[in-house]
Amino acid sequence: MQAIEVENLSKTFRVKRKEKGIRGSIGAIWHPRIEEIQAVNGVSFAVEEGEMLAFIGPNGAGKSTTIKMLTGILYPDGGRVEVLGMEPMKKRRQLAYQIGTVFGQKEQLWTHLTPNDNFRFFGAIYDLSERETEERIEELSERFALKDFIDTPVRNLSLGQRIRCEIVASLLHKPKVLFLDEPTIGLDPVVKENVRELIRQMNREEHTTIFLTSHDVGDIEKLCQRIIIVNDGQIVLDDSVEHLKNHYLHHKSAENELQKETAPSMEGMAAAAENGDASDASLEDIIVEIYKAQGEV
Amino acid sequence: MFESGRKSVEGALLSAHGQGSVRRKPWRKYGVIYKSVLLENLQYAANVALGFFAYFVFIYIYIRLWGYMYRSPEELIAGYTKEQMIWYVMMTEMLYFGSNAGVVAGEVAKDIRGGNIAYLMNKPYHYTLYILARYTGEWSVRMPMYAVFAVLIGAVLVGPLPHFQWITVPVMALCAVLGITINAVFKLCISLFSFWIEDTTPFQWIYNKLILVVGILFPVEIFPKALQPLLKMTPIYTVCYGPAKLIVDFSLEKCVEILMAQAVYLAAGCALMFFIYGKGVRKLYVNGG
Amino acid sequence: MLTVVKNQLRVCFLSIQYNIMREMVNKVTFLTNVVFMVLNDASILVQWFILFRLRDDVGGYSLREVLMLWGLVAASFGLSNILFARALSLPNLIINGKLDAYLVQPKNVLLGVLTSETRISAIGDLLYGVILVCVCRPGVGGFCLFLLFTITGALAFTAFALLLGSLSFWFVRMDILQNQMLMGMINFGTYPDGIFQGAARILLYVLLPVGMALWLPSHVMARFDGKMLMAVLGYVFLLSAAAVAVFYRGLKRYASGNLMEARL
Repeated sequence: MQAIEVENLSKTFRVKRKEKGIRGSIGAIWHPRIEEIQAVNGVSFAVEEGEMLAFIGPNGAGKSTTIKMLTGILYPDGGRVEVLGMEPMKKRRQLAYQIGTVFGQKEQLWTHLTPNDNFRFFGAIYDLSERETEERIEELSERFALKDFIDTPVRNLSLGQRIRCEIVASLLHKPKVLFLDEPTIGLDPVVKENVRELIRQMNREEHTTIFLTSHDVGDIEKLCQRIIIVNDGQIVLDDSVEHLKNHYLHHKSAENELQKETAPSMEGMAAAAENGDASDASLEDIIVEIYKAQGEV
Repeated sequence: MFESGRKSVEGALLSAHGQGSVRRKPWRKYGVIYKSVLLENLQYAANVALGFFAYFVFIYIYIRLWGYMYRSPEELIAGYTKEQMIWYVMMTEMLYFGSNAGVVAGEVAKDIRGGNIAYLMNKPYHYTLYILARYTGEWSVRMPMYAVFAVLIGAVLVGPLPHFQWITVPVMALCAVLGITINAVFKLCISLFSFWIEDTTPFQWIYNKLILVVGILFPVEIFPKALQPLLKMTPIYTVCYGPAKLIVDFSLEKCVEILMAQAVYLAAGCALMFFIYGKGVRKLYVNGG
Repeated sequence: MLTVVKNQLRVCFLSIQYNIMREMVNKVTFLTNVVFMVLNDASILVQWFILFRLRDDVGGYSLREVLMLWGLVAASFGLSNILFARALSLPNLIINGKLDAYLVQPKNVLLGVLTSETRISAIGDLLYGVILVCVCRPGVGGFCLFLLFTITGALAFTAFALLLGSLSFWFVRMDILQNQMLMGMINFGTYPDGIFQGAARILLYVLLPVGMALWLPSHVMARFDGKMLMAVLGYVFLLSAAAVAVFYRGLKRYASGNLMEARL
């Protein structure tokens, strides 16, 4: 079964541009300059149920726009999206019961209230009865080790504790798909590792599909089997993490062969190869090289 | 209801301007701050124009209200003709709307509560003067626009003021500028209490309301005789009654009296402001942010 | 269907309850906000005592009627800002693309947005309105009418704010216009309609929800009239329906992503 199916997805924004200064402001009233920006351009991929996928790319590559289309916030201009067999835009509410979202930089919690109060609110949002909510909080706070601070206002928690609460809040209703947007941003290495372990555990025990965006290569390396790199609204690479690393290592010797296999990524890889010694490259180096080859860094 | 307008104030100013000349001309930097905000605000002129609606509503209500209260055109209420009464409200409201004090109220409180003050107070300028310079830059754009608009409404809907002499305009302008500045100093003082208490906005409401009810809507003469000397002691006399009275009914003695009162109030207000600020900063040094 | 409504209401009440709980963390701030707003509203009484010293009636209203009108406006505004304060900051939410959080929740977007903020000072407004009306001693029937009109008034305030705020989906600077129009509504609403004549009066009954949502109820409270009461109810219903329709039209535009630069 496929959790997410995306076919030839496109999204264009029409944006009014304004010239600088007073004259620009006045001019814009009469002659608004409208610019079209192709944020997502013919993206196709599928995610298996229970898979953990990293969806990465430089800033402004179209990651958030894609996530927004997957969660029903934005509707696509072209192409097809199905999440859990539903079209997000048409069945936004039904879909919302089955997906969870964590945005590392945007807080969904009431910071002046305790995690416990917050969880009760999310329980109500997802129509869980008081008892169900209670049980689920019990279960998750055990697993995520929240017991010590579950009655402390969120604003008094450390960032690591807070993000754990954010994740628990988005898991209360047992979502089948979890969208994680930079979940480990700003965390120290130990807490990062802890959060990753919890996500892995979640995936194992509840068979949750994980759709992750991150700039942290550690997240990708330690969590995901598969990686999709987007740039300029297009997929430049879609490969398993393992495969990517191996191929890169043997890149020089197998350059020609590679070109046949994963055509879209090749330009990046070839350019990358020229820039340095590939034999001891880490995943981070590989990704940096691919970005560079795209002319983005 | 009716808290003072909540116009947003655009991003903080770069402070590096004019640093080189600090020692030679210590006042120059405030001029530069003023100019930067002025230029920035010229771009928001359209927003200011949208604000005319609320001003118009107020004035329109008062035109109708006084139209109802004056039974005959010759009647005098508290010594004012109907035209004078309406022009009085128009002028005080112009000062109120034109000098919308977002910087001295909301922003100062935010700087202090948010901890931004720690960076601002170590800059080579005095924080309170920096704020006043910024504030002046703001109203220098708004006020002239409101003045033109007010005169326009007045000319069309109310009719000209009797005995108005153009030659007195510069004195009136000086008096108005002093009034606005005194008002800003007092509001700044209230904001500075943010060093000690969480939320100073309720005190701003009360101050605004006091000015509104006792100074803006009615001239002092309309209140019971026993109260009038008391009212003349309050800042209201220098902040709105004074300037508006001069515009509506100019006389030389009145002018001198009001300017002197304003000088006293400005000096006292600034002394109070520096005193509170000093205390607040000392508290910050002792307790940390 | 019934459980859907029940669940939705549960979420709304929790949301408002949490808004208030959040503000009560600092008790001193909470209390000064409420108490000072009562004082702030009460200070305007000075104006009316002065005006009634000059004449026995203002625009055909006695002092008692003016006070009742003031009570109604304050209570309506207060109730609206306790339950649905976000209607007033809606432009901000739209412009900054902050509706996303409500769109990923499996609940009604509009109700989720509206109940996501509570203005604490509004409790002071509501309190002041109720006190003022109690001082006028309207009797049990009169007080029931006052409560009814407070609810319709609050709905009218919210709907009007929502209607203007939703225009932010299409136009810039709607936050300023919205603020101006609401202040205009309150300002006109707190003066007797008798001082306005001719075209101005008609405009105030048609263009702004002042006449139908505030003045007409004050007439009904002064002298009961069933037809007028029905007219008020019908008007508020239509205004609310229009506001909701415009919001959802705008939301479609929001989902097209074409309204702002910041969201890329």
